[in-house]
Amino acid sequence: MDPLLEQLLAGFVDESQEIYERITRNLMELEKSPAQGPGFDDLARGLHTLKGSAATLGLEELADFAHRMEDVILPLRGSAKPLPAAVADAVLKSLDIWMARLRAIAAKGELPDLGPSFALLEKVKPAGAAKKKNGAGKNGKGRAVPEKPAAEVAPPPEVALPPPPVASAPEPAPVPVADDAQADSWRVSTRQVIALLQEVERLREVRLRVEERRRELEKAVLQLDRLGIQAETAEARAVLLGVRRSLGADGEEAADIVSSMEEGLKTISTTPVRTVLDPLRRAVRDLCKATGKQAKLSVVGAEVSLDRRAIEQLRGPLIHLVRNAVDHGLEMPEVREARGKNPEGALTIRIEQQGNMLFIEVGDDGAGLDLEQIREAALRRALVAPEELASMSTQQLHQLIFRPGFSTRMEATEFSGRGVGLDVVRNQIQALQGHVEVQSVAGQGARFVLTLPADLGSSPVLVVRCGEHQLGIPMAAVESSRAARNDDLRVGRSRVQLDHREQLIPVQDLGALVGLRQQEVPAEGQPLLILLAQGRRLALSVDEVLGDRELVIRPLPADVRELPAYQGAATLARGELVLILRPDFLVNSERNAEAGLAGTRRALVVDDSLTARALHRTALETGGYLVHTASNGRQALEQLRHSAYDVMVCDIGMDEMDGYELTAVVRQRAETDSMPILLVSARDSDSDRQRGVATGADGFLTKKECVSGRLLAEVSAVIARRKGAA
Amino acid sequence: MKLRARETDGVPADVEELLLQRAERVRHKPAEADDESLLWVAEFPVGEETYALPLETLRAAVPLKMVTAVPLSPPHVIGILRFQGQIVTALSLASLLGGRGWREDPAVLLVVDPGFGRLVALDCERIPKPTGLPHALVEEARARSTGAISEITLPGMRQVNLLDLLRLMDRRHAQEKR
Repeated sequence: MDPLLEQLLAGFVDESQEIYERITRNLMELEKSPAQGPGFDDLARGLHTLKGSAATLGLEELADFAHRMEDVILPLRGSAKPLPAAVADAVLKSLDIWMARLRAIAAKGELPDLGPSFALLEKVKPAGAAKKKNGAGKNGKGRAVPEKPAAEVAPPPEVALPPPPVASAPEPAPVPVADDAQADSWRVSTRQVIALLQEVERLREVRLRVEERRRELEKAVLQLDRLGIQAETAEARAVLLGVRRSLGADGEEAADIVSSMEEGLKTISTTPVRTVLDPLRRAVRDLCKATGKQAKLSVVGAEVSLDRRAIEQLRGPLIHLVRNAVDHGLEMPEVREARGKNPEGALTIRIEQQGNMLFIEVGDDGAGLDLEQIREAALRRALVAPEELASMSTQQLHQLIFRPGFSTRMEATEFSGRGVGLDVVRNQIQALQGHVEVQSVAGQGARFVLTLPADLGSSPVLVVRCGEHQLGIPMAAVESSRAARNDDLRVGRSRVQLDHREQLIPVQDLGALVGLRQQEVPAEGQPLLILLAQGRRLALSVDEVLGDRELVIRPLPADVRELPAYQGAATLARGELVLILRPDFLVNSERNAEAGLAGTRRALVVDDSLTARALHRTALETGGYLVHTASNGRQALEQLRHSAYDVMVCDIGMDEMDGYELTAVVRQRAETDSMPILLVSARDSDSDRQRGVATGADGFLTKKECVSGRLLAEVSAVIARRKGAA
Repeated sequence: MKLRARETDGVPADVEELLLQRAERVRHKPAEADDESLLWVAEFPVGEETYALPLETLRAAVPLKMVTAVPLSPPHVIGILRFQGQIVTALSLASLLGGRGWREDPAVLLVVDPGFGRLVALDCERIPKPTGLPHALVEEARARSTGAISEITLPGMRQVNLLDLLRLMDRRHAQEKR
């Protein structure tokens, strides 16, 4: 194929897809309302554009095919009646074949046969159309090129079609209708837009660096001030202050540029979610016709714009859910009537974007999930053990429909409940870093809620501190905040509850939930955040509330993306990343994060090196230890105040308080005076070892000796020595 | 204009000697053919051992700072950081290698492209130095190796462990799955 034609074809496929969607939408609307008005005109214009563009590219058979569709549709213009269902059906099916043929030509694949479509169109062609066709044929021209459609003979003024050709001249191929918007647009590859987005990110980093330089400069000026040589440095300080001011202004300007570029790119790279919803109407219509059911699809929020790539990936899951709702959720009209429902089932798709989280809800008012059938199916397929099944809550039973074996085998056994292929839906949504939930009331319907991160949006986040970590919580989940008061806390054996507005709600320590420390009862005055997500409320204790920020949440890299605790990460003003927690993870983590670890040995690793902490943790976890970490002596003492450890592995060379000092303080405290302590150091000298022992440490290891086996052996040895001493 | 050698008159003998030695070294610079028979690697220490990774996989060496720790992550994950507009995971190389000791707390992150379409950062005790390894020895070691490390013994019995990042990452994924 001519390379130029190949290139043009690729663009034509995209353009045709848009027109195809428009025609489909119009056909379905005109099935229910009189065949006239702007909808009909748009339909006629779409078919004409397909014909004209195909002819321009030399795709005569597709031009002719579009012409045949026009022959069926155009004679019906102005009818007070809706389009006959058979006509709409025939044109919709023909359109599918038209698109398939175009795609096959572009992909150099096997071309679908047009014969059956031609026959179908011929069958539904209105009687008047033949007359008009015959009339058009009076000019003596054959059908070597597409015949002049009826509408072209006397185009209505509101339809922008080309003027009729001169009678004696050969009929030229119809010229595609030029759309102003299209004429002014470029087709840009996703890769180019992503590259631009990355450049914007880099620019944001540069801006942050400028801000950092400004702060450094500020420090330098302060240092000069402190030196007390103000007269000698007056000129230099004046220059520095000027530069500092300029850097501040430059930083602000760069921030404005970043915001405006981000906004511009957002407009370029997003498209209304309507583009993925319109084909769903067609799916519902076709399925209703095939099953004898009746359904009305309502969409709320179709104007929300999403990342074009995400929209493409959502297409499959949404079609699946909607088909599933019609096929398995909605009852037959007579059954619905018998149950006192409208014979026409209601399907609803609701789209809502909160910051950069997207919620898509697909609901129906059908029979809902049948728990008994789910149980039976799960047992039949041995998906869960009978005793486990017996103890499952309704919510857990609902989750079974997402099990792989469940759905596929249901289909084979003609199970009448829900769940066919829902594992596929879940996998696809998870691939987009989202998750899917189902809620159902028997006899009243089911609701599937897809939650997805939506790129290119910012959302309000509450930033909190927990130990040395800063973490973000989406504000949408934060109902209120308050200080803990002992009078309001109900401390039980296994859990703590908060008396909040005459309601008892569970209390969890954020540090414990993310594995940083043991569960603690909030201290008097400690900040508590009241979270509400998925209908559950939780009081979350944190060390400090740092404030709310408007942040762009970005997906985590693949190595940590699977962690259920996080929604993503965002950049704070100084350039550091903050992890954003998932509210559903928090409210569903009622159980103590370490409840199942009773009897596990605990180790506290104290080292100011992130990488050293990681290495110690690797070695100790391999040996079965539960490891908590601290990056300095002060934090270690804080941890030890609340938690008991079987051993402390501590670096010597730390700022503020070194390992010797920490050991000495630990030994002075009654609750830790006999805790085994192993000191580690990058240095290897007898004096270090002796000093370690003198301050109360039980062992000493150099970092180069810290290979997994050696560290574990030494940890066991210091524990044994301490026990022996006791 | 014709270039002429600089006059050496008046140059102290020791300086002249130094210049002569340099000239000699330049004259003995390996020919291009020799260059081609070398695999250029970034060489760095991990504890008592020397490791290397193909220079073509190295994107940058950045200071180990502004790394955000990720609670609940696997132990070999040091944290996440921003690098040229991307969020990149920082991994502990010693941990990936199965727990090695170290002499200095790592202060450098090597941003590498293991070849699966995204960057990762590996911690490192020192900024690596570029070195050429004879291709023949590399191929021989790779043929012997079944894992992520090819042990190359250089003249003088110096051993360099050449990392195959793709295999190293694969092994990590396999370990995680287990």
